[in-house]
Amino acid sequence: MSDFKRIYRLSKRLTLERMFSTRMYIMFPILLLFIPGMAWGFSDPDIVLPGGHQPQTSMEVLFYASLGVVFGATMCAVLLSYDAVSRERASGVLELRLSQPMPRSHQSVAMMLGSWQAILIPTWILLAISVGIVRYRMGEWISIADCIVYFSSTALILLWYILFTLLASSYTREQGTAISFGVGMWFLFTFLWALVTTMVAFASGVAIGQENDAAWVMLEGALDLLSPNGVYHHLLETRLPQIERGIASWQSWSMGLVWTVLPSWLFIKRMEKILP
Amino acid sequence: MEEEVLCLNAASYRHLIAAPKPLKPWRRVKGPGIFSIHLSLRKGTVLGLVGPNGAGKTTLLRVMAGILPLQDGSASKGKGTRAYSVHDLRQRVGHMPEQVRWQGQKSVREALLEIAEMRQKGEKRVDGLLHLVGLQGRKNSALNELSQGMRQRLTLAVALLGSPKILLLDEPLNGLDPVGAAAFIALLKSLTERGVSIVLSSHQVEGLVDVVDRLALMHRGHILAEGTAEEVASSLGLEAKVTVKGLGEPPAFGRYNLDKEQIEMKQKDDSWSAQLENVEPELLKKLVDDDFTITEWSIRQPNVVEMLCAATGQSIEDVGLEVASSAYLPLRSFGGEEE
Repeated sequence: MSDFKRIYRLSKRLTLERMFSTRMYIMFPILLLFIPGMAWGFSDPDIVLPGGHQPQTSMEVLFYASLGVVFGATMCAVLLSYDAVSRERASGVLELRLSQPMPRSHQSVAMMLGSWQAILIPTWILLAISVGIVRYRMGEWISIADCIVYFSSTALILLWYILFTLLASSYTREQGTAISFGVGMWFLFTFLWALVTTMVAFASGVAIGQENDAAWVMLEGALDLLSPNGVYHHLLETRLPQIERGIASWQSWSMGLVWTVLPSWLFIKRMEKILP
Repeated sequence: MEEEVLCLNAASYRHLIAAPKPLKPWRRVKGPGIFSIHLSLRKGTVLGLVGPNGAGKTTLLRVMAGILPLQDGSASKGKGTRAYSVHDLRQRVGHMPEQVRWQGQKSVREALLEIAEMRQKGEKRVDGLLHLVGLQGRKNSALNELSQGMRQRLTLAVALLGSPKILLLDEPLNGLDPVGAAAFIALLKSLTERGVSIVLSSHQVEGLVDVVDRLALMHRGHILAEGTAEEVASSLGLEAKVTVKGLGEPPAFGRYNLDKEQIEMKQKDDSWSAQLENVEPELLKKLVDDDFTITEWSIRQPNVVEMLCAATGQSIEDVGLEVASSAYLPLRSFGGEEE
């Protein structure tokens, strides 16, 4: 059996275990309300967003509906994977895994894929439902290119949150600490990043919150590259030509690559040295 | 003599422990562990690791299992052969850690299959092992429903997954009922007959003394004595004790060239019993010739606790249940100041 196949088979087992876990049964209805629910709401022909804005295209509606991913799916990713390493470590099962001849780097990749797929599959199903809802409400399908960007950037943001949480789980001996780190990080990037942006703008002498001020828009766009949620929105905005925040597509995708490779590498290195 | 299957040569591993300083809160220094261990394991034999809490038994087992990398020294098949990498060790060794608390909703069979994937073993092997460890009837039970004894059996099944040449067992009898423990010991015997070498760390070595071929006494990260029980006892200057029981007037053992320290006498009504050390083989004949009524004469070899106390210089009365802080310090210092 090739290494690739072995990783695939192990990750599949981990995926099924987490995807059909009690916590997923609890979280799935929440995701159902968040993701297709937002798609339904934002595709309402009479909706008026703050500033009197009305979404014009189906991709724009799905862009706004991506808030469901940012608020719901990322939190589910954290809750699904916070104990992936710490629980096994506390129970002694990790020691058994570490004594197996399968290289630890391969075990780590299987663990990443397993946790990722467990949240990715339900989220993608809900995204597909959302696309159908938008089509039904607006009478317009999104293009194939839009669809690819929408699904792949959602996959990436979920992977980033999974990776941060796995890293925290591998460093902490208590599951409570791991979940505190995951939830804290979620709060930082979901709610507090605006505060960080404001503080940097204040320190830089840029007028805060002026949507028509180019300096503010550029600063906000640049700082968003340092946040997974911000990069996610930058990636989605590559399909919305009417939005211009001074960040080129290649910059968004490059940062996406950095957010993927760096934590993956850190997690694999960590697992290669972890002690039971 | 059986061939060597694992030879540790000056094997050392020290855990890093937190030692924060005001300007270096992350500072860590080398702490307890194992120090310059020389150990040889032979094919089809059982080596019992014995030592007080904190002696380094678990660390030594983890090093042998390839979980902890050696910081110094080497592990190989025999002296002069190529050193094993951690991957070689993991391939050859089956490891049963102490008290694995299996938990979750997945079934026993699923849990075993998951780890079997890591060793490229199939369902047939998994089902065979579940049968071997007596979990066939519980294969579809959730891990949360298992008793501690059943969890021990499952851990043993994991250790046996790769058909290991070396089996490392850390406190394997914990949680097993007496019948389960007897079955477990029978299983160990059958494994050694098939050429599997076993290293067994247990606080209940007394119960396994019939299974263990060799003993290694550990203390503060060192092996203080290693060999058969007789060899270890002899190297520690311990000799067999004789218990004599009789009726009527007890003999004055001083007349038979025994010192007072070698005699422990008890008397009740018309009977008496004495525990004697350094006894001449002719003593029984002399007592009978002198018309003493002897009802029992038994010879007892030194037990593991006595060996351990002799090796460590501790006594049961002194130690009690306390884990001495000195147990975490090496007997010798290496290169002066700690890193």
